[in-house]
Amino acid sequence: MQRNLPDHGALLCILPVRPDVDQQGDVRCIRGAQVIGCSTAGEIVSGRVLKDSIVAMAFDDRTVRDAAFSVVTDVTSPDSLADAARRLGEDIGTPLGELDFRKYVGIILIDGLSGSEERVMDRLGDLTNVTFIGGSAGDDLKFESTYVYLNGAAYTNAAVLALLEPAGKFDIIKTQSFKALKATLVPTKVNEERREVIEFNNRPAALAYAGALGVPPEDASKRFMRNPVGLVTGDDIFVRSPRQIEGDSIFFYCMVKEGMELALLESTDIVADTRRAVEEKVRQLAGASALINFHCILRALELEGNGQDKEYGALFAGIPTIGFSTYGEEYIGHINQTSTMLVFK
Amino acid sequence: MIETIIEKRSGGNETLKNTTRTKLIIKGYHPDRWTLQSEDDPAKITELRQIALDMGVKL
Repeated sequence: MQRNLPDHGALLCILPVRPDVDQQGDVRCIRGAQVIGCSTAGEIVSGRVLKDSIVAMAFDDRTVRDAAFSVVTDVTSPDSLADAARRLGEDIGTPLGELDFRKYVGIILIDGLSGSEERVMDRLGDLTNVTFIGGSAGDDLKFESTYVYLNGAAYTNAAVLALLEPAGKFDIIKTQSFKALKATLVPTKVNEERREVIEFNNRPAALAYAGALGVPPEDASKRFMRNPVGLVTGDDIFVRSPRQIEGDSIFFYCMVKEGMELALLESTDIVADTRRAVEEKVRQLAGASALINFHCILRALELEGNGQDKEYGALFAGIPTIGFSTYGEEYIGHINQTSTMLVFK
Repeated sequence: MIETIIEKRSGGNETLKNTTRTKLIIKGYHPDRWTLQSEDDPAKITELRQIALDMGVKL
């Protein structure tokens, strides 16, 4: 990569990495570039879905005019996030809250086992109108330890923030392959911190979920991947994926707020939906020079199970692409079973 | 009250109106479900005032 960098050097390098690879020496070798990355549950590069790989994309000032970086060293601390946000503003020359959302975009890579993504995204959304998009770091489904990186230093229980001023047009794709069914489930008793729904519609959660699907309770967990629930906002869906049943409670991969009406969802065709979303965005931008894909591991597993992983990778063959399989995606809030993508014209 | 937060935070920009609306829905405050009864719920009003403060909106 160092050989291929233009003379004016790389401003930013994004490097989803293997959790078991010590690449600190590698990242220090990319002179003049700020390097961010995280551990993953799989990687994506133009045209291919990979495992056990390191992928990288370098941006120079023809694509990214300016950038600032900071680390939220403790994602459970509001002060840590406030400090990181303040540093971004100081480095870019304008407070985060005053930046034009049409000219700037943010990337967030966050510890996927921290359980703090919702709080961080909520507070970031309060502090700025700039959209931060990103993903939760993974560790190949071991669920032991995930890392985020900035310039050779690895962090846990942390988030890396990158604030970018693209040189040209950019836009975001958020795509999830589900349709809303008629059944709604209202969490009437929850433990937000544990991402636990104790009751839906004033009934034990597992029983209510199974009842909504019309399946015996003992079969409910088999339907999690195909039938998660979602917060419907107009014509968009923010997916909340169930993780496991304990007793009568359902634990999710993201926080579910009490009283938040959720639609029962049914999965559709990931490849077809993603093709449509990417083609439409490329048409709107009149071309794409780079794409970063934060791609839910649950989608990756579904594609693999259906023998569609190569077909999915091929969707990005014509666009310089990197991405990784995430333990959650970030766009306005923390979401599941979604791909969030940053596309540069 | 919710619409006031959306209007002030967005400055009338349609894209920001949609984003702000979505942020509020994710926070548990859906504009379409905010009713006259909600306006009489002290706990909800207090929470919404804090949300406005957090978002830098003066009500």
